[in-house]
Amino acid sequence: MQRLLLAIPLLWLLALVPALAGPPTQVPPQVAVGHPLENFRAALQAGGPGKDGIPSIDRPQFVGADQARLDDDEIVIGLYRQGQARAYPQRILVWHEIVNDEVGGEALSITYCPLTGTALGFKRGTTQLGVSGRLVNSNLVMYDRATDSEWPQILGVAIDGPLAGQGLEEVRLIWTTWGQWRARYPETRVLSERTGYVRNYRRDPYGSYTPLGGYYLPESRRLFSVLHRDDRFPPKTMIFGVRTARGALAVDRRVLREEGVIETRVGDERIVLIHDPGLETAWAFRNPRGVSLDAGALGFGPAGVSGPGIEALEPLHGFEAMWFAWAAFYPETALYPEAP
Amino acid sequence: MSALRRRLAASPVAMLLLSLMAAGYALAYLWLTGDLAGGGWGGWEASFPAWGRLLERRGFLQFEPVGWIMLGGLIWTFSPFNTLLALLMGLLLGLNLLAAWWVWRSPRVCGLGSSASGILAAIPALLIGGACCAPLVLIWLGLPIAGAVVGLTPILIPLALLLMLLGLWILSRRLEANGER
Repeated sequence: MQRLLLAIPLLWLLALVPALAGPPTQVPPQVAVGHPLENFRAALQAGGPGKDGIPSIDRPQFVGADQARLDDDEIVIGLYRQGQARAYPQRILVWHEIVNDEVGGEALSITYCPLTGTALGFKRGTTQLGVSGRLVNSNLVMYDRATDSEWPQILGVAIDGPLAGQGLEEVRLIWTTWGQWRARYPETRVLSERTGYVRNYRRDPYGSYTPLGGYYLPESRRLFSVLHRDDRFPPKTMIFGVRTARGALAVDRRVLREEGVIETRVGDERIVLIHDPGLETAWAFRNPRGVSLDAGALGFGPAGVSGPGIEALEPLHGFEAMWFAWAAFYPETALYPEAP
Repeated sequence: MSALRRRLAASPVAMLLLSLMAAGYALAYLWLTGDLAGGGWGGWEASFPAWGRLLERRGFLQFEPVGWIMLGGLIWTFSPFNTLLALLMGLLLGLNLLAAWWVWRSPRVCGLGSSASGILAAIPALLIGGACCAPLVLIWLGLPIAGAVVGLTPILIPLALLLMLLGLWILSRRLEANGER
């Protein structure tokens, strides 16, 4: 009887463990950390709204492409995973910043920071990510609802809490326009405006991407202080960035468009970036064997780039970002081309 | 406060001005805090799907909208408590302005200083009445100091309310003193 009485609370505690489990992590992180964690902690700033003052969407609903009221030039953040395509309109994400979604049984958080123009996907396991209300380098600081650890979105590494120093597992999102996304993924589903919250989804509180205006203008000033300033580009210039455990690389998107295929290095690692004209983004790879690619022989489909030599490359996560934020997180970043 | 009440009751013009000032300030407050904005697609429509969020807060003294009203090019994401707060602040600001005007127009009272000094009591209240939205204006203008002052927003609204009440009390005392002569 005594054993039974002991076993009941133990079983109850064991049942709680999955509920308290944080997101899946990488130890050590697979990405560069440009400053000591205590510097990030010291640079945390209140962003205005408090914790969850910007509410994440935790029960997302989707509509078909034909029901989405989107113009072709509107920005969407696209996800293609397990054969399913989803589009998250920027004008909805700007009010929520995080969507705790599930695609093909896989729990993901789709995250977007309007102040740094960055969209990153993360595996979230059994927990959810939320908006902490704090910023570092102007970038969204997320928290996970299991351990309350704090994760700057661009860094993807916890800077505070029980998971400090561990990295999140990233999932590629595509920053593109609705017209381009729909052309590549006609069967895509689109995040519905029925988010459970009342917001003015016709208005962006920071500015406009179509036409470019307000906070998003390349020359406009940032609002919050940063750990490191670099004036080689106007602050809000969108670059394409990749980072490995050994370093970071920012690529001028105009040059990427012109050159099509860029072969360069991060530290001693060979990196190749391939411009995708259909989505106006890039696919990044490690190129350990130094394979030479023929840009004309490459093709683009739902799963990304394909063609001779691609199978010898190792996919690398990359994303678009405002230059000031990238340089603030990665002061030692390499730049392609070296002189802008 | 009784002198102020008497003056208001006796003057329909003052009541009208007070209503206009309260409504004007409330509209400006709702615009600056984002509850009222562009984005409407013409005509009018309204929907109130989120009454369950009536008491949910987005920040200090800022509540979740429960519905939206679209009129022409405008969309109002409506929260009853945000609207009440905006009207209350507008009412207090209007009362301060009216009381300051009456004090300025009234004859000088010996031993109590000039009418002009009475108006001075209203100045901090008036400044702070507008200051509560200052961080939002700075963000809207894209000024870098917005990041430094945005953390002050939570204390500015209670401070504005407190100072406007204090200003009103000082001005109404002066009005009463003037009325006794």
